[in-house]
Amino acid sequence: MKDLIRSRNFLIGAGFVLSLAALVACQTMLDHGSAAQAQSQQAPRYVVDPLWPKPLPNHWVLGMTIGVAVDADDHIWIIHRGAPTLSVHEKQIDNNAGDCCTAAPPVLEFDQAGNLLRHWGGPGPGYEWPDSNHGIFIDYKGNVWIGGNGGPDSEILKFTKDGKFLLQVGKKGARRVAGAAAGSGEGAAAGFAGGSNDLLNFGRAAKIFVDPKENEAYIADGYLNKRVAVLDADTGKMKRYWGAYGHKPDDTPMPPYDPSQPPAQQFRSPVHCADMSVDRLIYACDRANDRLQVFTPDGVFVKEAYYHTNTKENGSVWDIAFSKDPEQKYIFMADGVNDKVRIIDRQSLKELTNFGDGGRQPGEFHAVHSIAIDHEGNLYTTETYEGKRVQRFLLKGMAPVTKMDQGVPWPVSN
Amino acid sequence: MAALRWPGLLLAAMMLLTAPVRAHDIPIDAVVRMFVKPQGQVLRVLVRMPLKSTTEDMEYPRRERDFVDLAKVEPFLRDAAEVALLNSLDVYEDGRVLPKPRIASVRMSLESDPSFYDYNSALAHVLGPPLPDSETLYWEQGVLDVLFEYPIRSERSYFSLHAAFNRLALHEVTTVQFLAPGGVSRALELEGDAGLVHLDPSWFHAAGRFVIMGFNHILDGTDHLLFLLCLVIPYRQVRPLIPIITAFTVAHSITLIASTYHYVPDVLWFPPLIETLIAMSIFYMALENIVVQRPSHRWIITFCFGLVHGFGFSFGLQQSLQFAGSHLLTSLLSFNVGVELGQLLVLCLFVPALNLLFRYVMPERMGIIIISAIVAHQAWHWMVERFAVLERFPRPSITAAGVRSALGWLSAAVVMAALLWLTSIAIKGWTGSEQQETPKSY
Repeated sequence: MKDLIRSRNFLIGAGFVLSLAALVACQTMLDHGSAAQAQSQQAPRYVVDPLWPKPLPNHWVLGMTIGVAVDADDHIWIIHRGAPTLSVHEKQIDNNAGDCCTAAPPVLEFDQAGNLLRHWGGPGPGYEWPDSNHGIFIDYKGNVWIGGNGGPDSEILKFTKDGKFLLQVGKKGARRVAGAAAGSGEGAAAGFAGGSNDLLNFGRAAKIFVDPKENEAYIADGYLNKRVAVLDADTGKMKRYWGAYGHKPDDTPMPPYDPSQPPAQQFRSPVHCADMSVDRLIYACDRANDRLQVFTPDGVFVKEAYYHTNTKENGSVWDIAFSKDPEQKYIFMADGVNDKVRIIDRQSLKELTNFGDGGRQPGEFHAVHSIAIDHEGNLYTTETYEGKRVQRFLLKGMAPVTKMDQGVPWPVSN
Repeated sequence: MAALRWPGLLLAAMMLLTAPVRAHDIPIDAVVRMFVKPQGQVLRVLVRMPLKSTTEDMEYPRRERDFVDLAKVEPFLRDAAEVALLNSLDVYEDGRVLPKPRIASVRMSLESDPSFYDYNSALAHVLGPPLPDSETLYWEQGVLDVLFEYPIRSERSYFSLHAAFNRLALHEVTTVQFLAPGGVSRALELEGDAGLVHLDPSWFHAAGRFVIMGFNHILDGTDHLLFLLCLVIPYRQVRPLIPIITAFTVAHSITLIASTYHYVPDVLWFPPLIETLIAMSIFYMALENIVVQRPSHRWIITFCFGLVHGFGFSFGLQQSLQFAGSHLLTSLLSFNVGVELGQLLVLCLFVPALNLLFRYVMPERMGIIIISAIVAHQAWHWMVERFAVLERFPRPSITAAGVRSALGWLSAAVVMAALLWLTSIAIKGWTGSEQQETPKSY
């Protein structure tokens, strides 16, 4: 027996058995820890895809990238503001001063591989292209809707995917009022006044959503007006509209947002999104009031929630996208001041966690303005001001929420 | 002439990729969805394709502003189904091509219509009411839904199809869901013209396909071939090669099967890590051939590297596993058989060629050193290139999940090492002192 114990082979064999036992014990302990963690809050986990999209051809660059949408083929459409928002150093071709660069056409379509497909946009016969493009949406018939928030922009436009003009609702310059003060905020210009009870024109519309069931377009209206407006998506005829809490909208100028004051009873421009969920609720982004308000399709107020309420001026609630599970359990909210995407439980409207941070590297943001989601649950964001880009974030399943601020969603591990 | 032609083609391709799409351009991409269901004496094939892929071939009735005149569109949809789909689709029953089917129904639908996510809703949609005539819709923004009905002998027959829809777009994908009797469902994703596809392959069809795949895989993989060459250079006889080749086969089978069943780290850096390790394995073997005259225990190191190569094989196999049907394990083993056959063929060529080389061209030792040095040189370049790719991925942060996964892999490594140790004891006991071969004199 002693010989056996002393034998080299016995010691090696015992070493293997002990090592294995130690490893299994450690694993079991970790499994217990994980099981406990799994009981805690879960949220979708994302990582940035730094290789999407591919470089643009023709020395094209993006200006302020001000809208993003995903169509039925999972192609990604963006709209940007082009040359007026490029610095002189970014458009040397236009000035015959060098080989780089020039603005890409305003509307761009990308496939899932990041290839640029169709590209078009700009002024043309039969319609009034906005001074400052804002928001893009692809409806259930594959038509492309565009808003605008430039000084005189009071119209929205509908095109085919090939850029063929279909419909203009509202007339550019309709909000012109001699002597009107400029107001404040993005797109502010003297000589224009809100008209939130106008049935024919808009006031710098921010975003459009089309309800396939009723063929109605919901307009987040806007930077000058203070309402959600609903139109027949074929004729453009306005059917109804409402303000914050379902009130009749009132364009009386409001003092700047102050979180210590009682909640404002009107939307504080801009009304930046008006999207419908699967259970037919309208979620309106009251951007400068830092709040999301929920309505029935008829404009009856349901509930609201506030986010990062110390955010002043440009506000924290810029745009939303719903998760792709059948119940749309989550809302993804772009916050362009604090440079985060917030992940929100749709039922409670409670923020579960957020990702992103300020900066120019992949996964960081500078003024994340718009957000959209594809059928796989991957997110797409666009950035305005000096951000000027579109990014993709890949869904990596559910993960326990360990902290509120996840930071940059860099693809470091599983 | 060729030199002039290539830049022209390149320019044309660039223009195609960047020019605004006009009405008659071939789309960049298209997805065709198919459901195939045999029921009684009828095989129902439901197909949805984007109409943007038909603009080159088709005229269609229009009303104001070029909207499709839906009241008159049905005959044109039937033509589109004939031209774009039926002319490129062959369906087989028990190996016999079926005659052209009856077009039971056609519909033009909105691209956002969700019906084609399962068979029953797709069938109800195609047989249901068409879009109202008042609907405003453009041809290019619609989809064509068709129900084909093929007369068949039995729903239990063996079905296969050849769908060559690759002309519908520059990059075309066909998704096929086959609903066999008894509730069995098979999903396939075919890129372009994927040739003849067995919808519910029998074990011998799956095995045959995967044997060929394995055979081609080893012959296509230069790095695997160079690894094999390094293994055999010092041993050009059957007996010493048996444990080495067996160790390689067993090891790569283990990791190939493990990764097919998803026992593999699901992280972005893993494939480049494996590619780097494969290059290292070749470099190590070549170096060992140079430094050691007759490496002992080569089978052990070969086993370890075989584990790595098995992961490499699995990366190439992932997309093809859909053709295994319900015979996943059989297909994997068949793939391995194919790999072995490929290896045997390579050995049959390498061994006599090396023997001839060392007999008539150069002395054996010098030949081994020269060949190994050339291989080591190539492997070094691969190693550097692949490591550069690997380095682009940041080092993983330490998380509980990561530690748990690492412990699992460590446990597997301990078990593997124990098995190797036991095998080596068994081999020693089996061969005894008799296995001490007289070293060759060089």
